[in-house]
Amino acid sequence: MAEGLCAEQVRLPATQGLILDPVLVVQAVVSGLLFGGVYSLMAIGLTLIFGVMRVVNFAHGDLMVWAMYLAWLGATRFGVDPYVGFVGAAAILFVAGFVIQRQLVDRIVDAPHEMQILLMLGVALVLENTALVAFGPEPQRVRTPLTQAAVWLGPVFVDVGRLVTFLVAIALTAALWLFLYRSDLGRQMRAVADNGYGAHVIGTDVRHVSAVAFAVGAACVGAAGALVAPLLPFQPPTGLQLSVTSFNIVIIGGMGSVLGAFVGGLIVSVAESLGAVFLNPSMKELVSFALLVVILLVRPAGIFGRRAI
Amino acid sequence: MHRRTLLKTTVMGAAVAGFPLPLRAQPKTIKIAAIHTVTGALAEPGQACRMAAQIAVDHVNGSGGIKSMGGAKLELMLGDTQTKPDVARTEAERLINAGAQILMGTFNSGDTAAIVPVAQQRRVPFLVDISAADPITANVARAVKEGQQKVQYVYRNFPTGSLFGQRAVQYFTEIFKEAGVSPRRVVLMHCNDLFGTNQAKGFQAAHKAANPPWDIVEVISWPEPPSDLSTEVSRAKAAKPDIIAPITRPASALLLLPELRKQRVEAMGIVGPGSPGLYEAGQLTVLKDDLEYVMTSVPWPNFKHPQAQRLAEEYLRRSGGKMLDTNSGYSYDGIHVIADVLERAKSTDPDAVVDAIQKTSFKDNLMISTGPVVFNEIGDNPNAAPAMIQILKHKPVAVWPKDYALSKFVFPRPKA
Repeated sequence: MAEGLCAEQVRLPATQGLILDPVLVVQAVVSGLLFGGVYSLMAIGLTLIFGVMRVVNFAHGDLMVWAMYLAWLGATRFGVDPYVGFVGAAAILFVAGFVIQRQLVDRIVDAPHEMQILLMLGVALVLENTALVAFGPEPQRVRTPLTQAAVWLGPVFVDVGRLVTFLVAIALTAALWLFLYRSDLGRQMRAVADNGYGAHVIGTDVRHVSAVAFAVGAACVGAAGALVAPLLPFQPPTGLQLSVTSFNIVIIGGMGSVLGAFVGGLIVSVAESLGAVFLNPSMKELVSFALLVVILLVRPAGIFGRRAI
Repeated sequence: MHRRTLLKTTVMGAAVAGFPLPLRAQPKTIKIAAIHTVTGALAEPGQACRMAAQIAVDHVNGSGGIKSMGGAKLELMLGDTQTKPDVARTEAERLINAGAQILMGTFNSGDTAAIVPVAQQRRVPFLVDISAADPITANVARAVKEGQQKVQYVYRNFPTGSLFGQRAVQYFTEIFKEAGVSPRRVVLMHCNDLFGTNQAKGFQAAHKAANPPWDIVEVISWPEPPSDLSTEVSRAKAAKPDIIAPITRPASALLLLPELRKQRVEAMGIVGPGSPGLYEAGQLTVLKDDLEYVMTSVPWPNFKHPQAQRLAEEYLRRSGGKMLDTNSGYSYDGIHVIADVLERAKSTDPDAVVDAIQKTSFKDNLMISTGPVVFNEIGDNPNAAPAMIQILKHKPVAVWPKDYALSKFVFPRPKA
């Protein structure tokens, strides 16, 4: 009955333009909020690496695409559900992140920014094209029973896959926060992030801490990739789009802030979702990037950022 | 650089650049640049195009090459647009510099449009094997008509967006009538790149012109590739659709179809006016039941033609298990059209080739069409036509028009 009501209200407005149907708006907020969990997970790994090393990881999206393919391999070859397999993907990306940091990033930590950008873009290109050779060009999507399911709260529907991803995103953000603020290694990371030289003076192994930070960041990307593989179609060139979205979120939330990345992800997703209701959906990305411009004008360090960049 | 060295280099450069032209007159091989979207977001169809072009070149060469030119063989030069218009342009330049005498490509309308000015400036005939956006040929034809350019070097053997639209409206109406149902509310959902927008406009314009007994009640577009389509689908559902008419790309189809099922959009059917993403082997593997009973109006091989069946078998073998479809089929036909043109032109001189292209009447094409391959004053083939295909038991089958149908359509789709 509620659905019938909603259709009656929708018939009144024009086919394009402003639609003021409360059910549609509530649905957009719920969908946006839950999908925000995906965005948050994507952005957390990026912000951690930047926070500690001040290195902008342009290979972020491509690492995530690899994690998606790992989840896909796990699901199609070994029958591992991505909602379990994300732990494995995180572990593999942890090791990969450690190696990338030690072998490549460590050499350019103190180099000018353009050198860092070139290196990370190079890594991104290699990752994208090896994925193309290894997995082919077809877009893929992992099928799991969870993403087939939906719960209806009256006229509003809740995608179970997104709900689980959202809850895992909250759990991972909390775990990461506890790690950073309650463990010795986490404190060392924050010390390096605050003042690398000072941390070195008081006996912190900055090289090791940086490598672990990169590895933890990559592990977050790994978990994020595996968890969104059932929600987002992916193919080798998807990486760039994921990187851009993640940068946007991290800048809105505040570079280097884990909480900022989490909240930023939710804000961007809800903004896009509402944009798709109130504007033409093909303009929804305009909303999130307009938000970016506003944040840069009003609060250049981001919502939770402490220093200007 | 020393002034004299500069002068010497310039003169030598000019000499090198100038020489290939007379040398091109009597080649032992004819270089054809096949530029497709081999990597990037549209890599899957682009690779299908390339594979089919290679098979076609093997067939032409295997049957004696271009006989009127002493059995000259075709040589395929491979280009990759990376699904980026700027790269498409550079690739065209690169291959022309390397001696390409005819261009073919690209699958993606945006990329094809970027090659058009290069072909016109460098006077290299360009046969568009796949790309539907109308302006690709229409802009050149207008420039030639208005006297801004002398010769049109760009021709297309593929239905245009407006032709897609007309046929789609016609097939929709005929199928609804044949099925004895009268759906009223059609929701058009499309990607907003050059192809998707042009395709949607063509469909809407054809609908307006034909004034059929069904309405397009809502038009919803999304940025391609989208990361989420749940709100778009909620909007479509709110419009109470009888028919969902999607214009997708492979990536967006992977989001759209499961979302339509999850949000329980009750419609008589999902019937597309023509787009990729709804029939390819890879899509069928991932989408499985979500594609069952989906119909779309796309160019399709005429499998009633025995040669098309043989080609499908060879393509399956050489591509490692893929089926001959819209994309591979049109690229295969494209090379054969070029071979036919060269046979009649007896030369690779650009203007002789263009002259032969304009006089084309090629009957051995393997794609469903309303007549032989010919080129009209805009440079398009008015006989290129889509057919309505439907996914039945996880396989795409031509179901309309009746002359080409291999199976009866299932519409309205059975309730789950």
